[in-house]
Amino acid sequence: MKIEKLNKLLASKYNGKVKAYEKDQTLYLEGELDNYQDIIDIGYLSVDKKRYLGVVNDIKYSKEEVEHIRIPNIKTTKLDNKHVDVLVIGAGISGCSIARELSKYDLSILVVDKENDVAMQGSSRNDGQIHAGVDLKASCNKFKYLIKANPMYEQLSKELGIKFNRCGQYVFFKEGWLRPFVFGLCVVKSIQGVPSYIISKKHIKEKFPNINDDIKFAMCNPRAGVLSPYKYTIAYAENAIENGAEFSLNTYVESMNIVDDKIESVVTNQGVIYPRVVINAAGVFADKIAKMANDQHFTIHPRKGTELILDKKVKDITSSIMAVKSIKDFGAHTKGGGIVRTIDENILLGPDAVEQTFREDYSTNLSNVEALIKKHQASTSLLNKGAVITYFSGIRASTYEEEYYIHSGINTKNIVNCAGIQSPGLTTAPSVAIDIVKMTIDILGDVKENKTFNPYRKTHPILNDLSYEQRDELIKQNPDYGVMVCRCEEISKQEIIDCLESSLTPPTIDAIKRRVRPGMGRCQGSFCQGVVAKIISKQRNIPLEDVVKGTMDSKITYGSNKGSGKRG
Amino acid sequence: MDNYDVVVIGGGPGGLSSSLKAYQNNKKVLLIEREDKLGGILKQCIHNGFGLITFKEQLSGPEYVERYIDEIKKSNIKTLLSTFVLDIKKVKNGFLIIFSNSKGISKVLADNIIFATGCRERSAKQVFIQGDRCSGVLTAGLSQYYVNILGEKMGKEVVVLGSGDIGLIMARRLSLEGSHVKAAYEIKDSPSGLNRNIKQCLEDFNIPLYLSMTVTKTFGKDKLEAIEVAKVDKNMQVIEGTREIIPCDCLILSVGLIPENELISKLGVEMSKKTSGPVVDGQMMTSIPHIYASGNCLHVNDLVDYVSEASVIAGDNASKEIKEIEYKNITIDEHLAYCVPQRINIKTSNSKTIMYLRSRCKMDKAELKILDSSNSEIYKKNLMFVNPAETIRLEVNLDNIKDDIHITLNEKE
Repeated sequence: MKIEKLNKLLASKYNGKVKAYEKDQTLYLEGELDNYQDIIDIGYLSVDKKRYLGVVNDIKYSKEEVEHIRIPNIKTTKLDNKHVDVLVIGAGISGCSIARELSKYDLSILVVDKENDVAMQGSSRNDGQIHAGVDLKASCNKFKYLIKANPMYEQLSKELGIKFNRCGQYVFFKEGWLRPFVFGLCVVKSIQGVPSYIISKKHIKEKFPNINDDIKFAMCNPRAGVLSPYKYTIAYAENAIENGAEFSLNTYVESMNIVDDKIESVVTNQGVIYPRVVINAAGVFADKIAKMANDQHFTIHPRKGTELILDKKVKDITSSIMAVKSIKDFGAHTKGGGIVRTIDENILLGPDAVEQTFREDYSTNLSNVEALIKKHQASTSLLNKGAVITYFSGIRASTYEEEYYIHSGINTKNIVNCAGIQSPGLTTAPSVAIDIVKMTIDILGDVKENKTFNPYRKTHPILNDLSYEQRDELIKQNPDYGVMVCRCEEISKQEIIDCLESSLTPPTIDAIKRRVRPGMGRCQGSFCQGVVAKIISKQRNIPLEDVVKGTMDSKITYGSNKGSGKRG
Repeated sequence: MDNYDVVVIGGGPGGLSSSLKAYQNNKKVLLIEREDKLGGILKQCIHNGFGLITFKEQLSGPEYVERYIDEIKKSNIKTLLSTFVLDIKKVKNGFLIIFSNSKGISKVLADNIIFATGCRERSAKQVFIQGDRCSGVLTAGLSQYYVNILGEKMGKEVVVLGSGDIGLIMARRLSLEGSHVKAAYEIKDSPSGLNRNIKQCLEDFNIPLYLSMTVTKTFGKDKLEAIEVAKVDKNMQVIEGTREIIPCDCLILSVGLIPENELISKLGVEMSKKTSGPVVDGQMMTSIPHIYASGNCLHVNDLVDYVSEASVIAGDNASKEIKEIEYKNITIDEHLAYCVPQRINIKTSNSKTIMYLRSRCKMDKAELKILDSSNSEIYKKNLMFVNPAETIRLEVNLDNIKDDIHITLNEKE
């Protein structure tokens, strides 16, 4: 809507406390309100994709508590005066896939992230779905990228050495009268490139013997799949490193020096970097980075989603991705989540969607956890509270446009923004990366190919995927492949040692857990955590008290209780 | 391929007793242990109080198992350490056991298997404590491993949730290591641990125990900074208005043990919902003949002496021929949580049947009765200070059982 009309509306509804104005093809909102939901609602209300690049919602929330963002508590000059062709800010799925795509060219690439590992935020905290794209409008950017990325996964998973299962998605309906509408949707979607079809009740029961009886029919999207989102991100990062990219973790971008509409340097806690191009892949902080670069045309408003992990013993709930949909679910910002059998064969429920002011508050709460269990009990009676082994939250980097913001800089010439990446961001990462790299090369000018680029990541054996004969052979070469550390997930000592050989692996329990899975099982590490800590300490030659759980400051122990002196 | 009369899986107190008994019955025995030492969880239980019944003296955990390990060393029992059972298959002439160790993937054939796989601890999320994934929240057993085996200091300000024995023991242990243990909270209205542990581990160290209270939330992104505690009602639901925040950097959880039965349930053994362990008869045999269970994978024991005792029964019977099977069920009334064994094979001798029962409620004086199908009394015993934390052990002659039997437990004035 026109700015005058919007301002009139805002003035009448919010007593003149809020104002809108236009600048640089962007709609700005300012003012102060004491109701957070109002601020969110105004953001959505102001969206006009035809007129503006996006909405910058600067309305202050008067009751907002200050969020203490996790900042690495180190200061070095490691990166001081470092000149690189491309600096990527953020080592999530976007940053890592971009780095790997960039490494196909003869460029100096540096990826920085404030966390001590890659995939520490949204990229680890999702359901690992490779979406088919059935719930996206064919006109949106997300869909454009999805259609391109979805067929890439067979090849990509081979190259990156990760597991991928194109298991299909099944949406169940309890309202039989919806069937003609859903049939129509299937036809339209199939034409748009998302093959979809209807399955009758009889066939549902054959494929899903444990589904509740009141399901009338289902829609199948065979192009959907699952993978491990963190292993996927790590694999991208490792392959990028193998091809020459450099990663600097625990590196926090503090500010930028802009000279003549160009980023001249980027100031971090580890030194001042001089990049020719900056790629902003900072997830929930992407608008903050864009603002630093004087190129903010969107706002990230964090939206939390909680997901539950169930014991493998109830894996028969589903062998694919499923959800029960009701007429009232249409048009919501999330599908309310589904039931997924993850690539590692746990059952995952969720996610839900809750707007919150904090960008990094991953705490869960009981009502959400209970609501998820209750919601998904509508699909199968096999589901019960006792099967839950853990749960976690992730935060979506949503824009008010509910769309990706993928653009070269408008005000600043040498930035490429890869922002607003939320579902299906994991799925679209490979095609988004191709586009971002194109934009980057356009800025850089003459760029040569990296002739030594090797798309195949160096991998280590995963014992669970091997036959007993193959395992036996491996053990004969290296006996530690025969010694089991994690009894729930059956992980050997050598698999943990292998993983610690990667320069990217930080000495943390959670980093090992994401890569090799000890502690992912039903005991949640109560048997193996200490043993894993001991292995890390020995392999990396660091005292046990320096082995942390996840983040730099997540100490587990306070050192020896045996006085000073060395321990045996 | 090697063939064994009896293969015992698990080298904790249960597995040790079972293998020794089978060996004493002149059987060829293989004992498989996942860790690099025998002894199971008792390796890290350096406090005393073990063996009062078996050895009539107070031993520490390592001392208790050492007595069995010494015997094992003297015997011809084949012991495989750092060995992990991957799969068990029923084959024509017994069971095929596939395992992994530093030598490779190997197979053995077993006529009989005794499962002594112990139990695992329930974690924070499994009791629905909310929050982020900070460090400093750990199960009592894991903290015990860090302190007693790895020799590490754990927390400065510690809170214990759950008054199970390991939690109580750890409250004392951490106090001795210089931590300030602020309090223990128990969601139930009575302690879950043994009385002697309440006195020796909490009272002697001035650690308050708050009943009908639980931990609902943790605070901290990196390291634990505080917890939220709250009072609960009779249905264990939080009473609003009672939430309170307690600063601490370590939360120790002793919130229940779950028998580890992944392998045994894969074989299709009938499981009991009451114990989370397999259903067994008076010989500790499961629903699959020649498969036995003993120790904490059968039900969670409060005393190791009972683990050893039941394991001897399993070991003894795994060395004997099974003649015929005809089961009669043992049912229990609502005052009892469970009874092990759950049934009796009347085709074998049951003259000295050992039974382990748990009460659901506290009773100062109680009367326990075993009734036959016509409600006639077969057995009666008066009990003092019955409580859910302590096992009721019976030794009963059930030789004349013809039909199902029923056990009742009632409070006496």
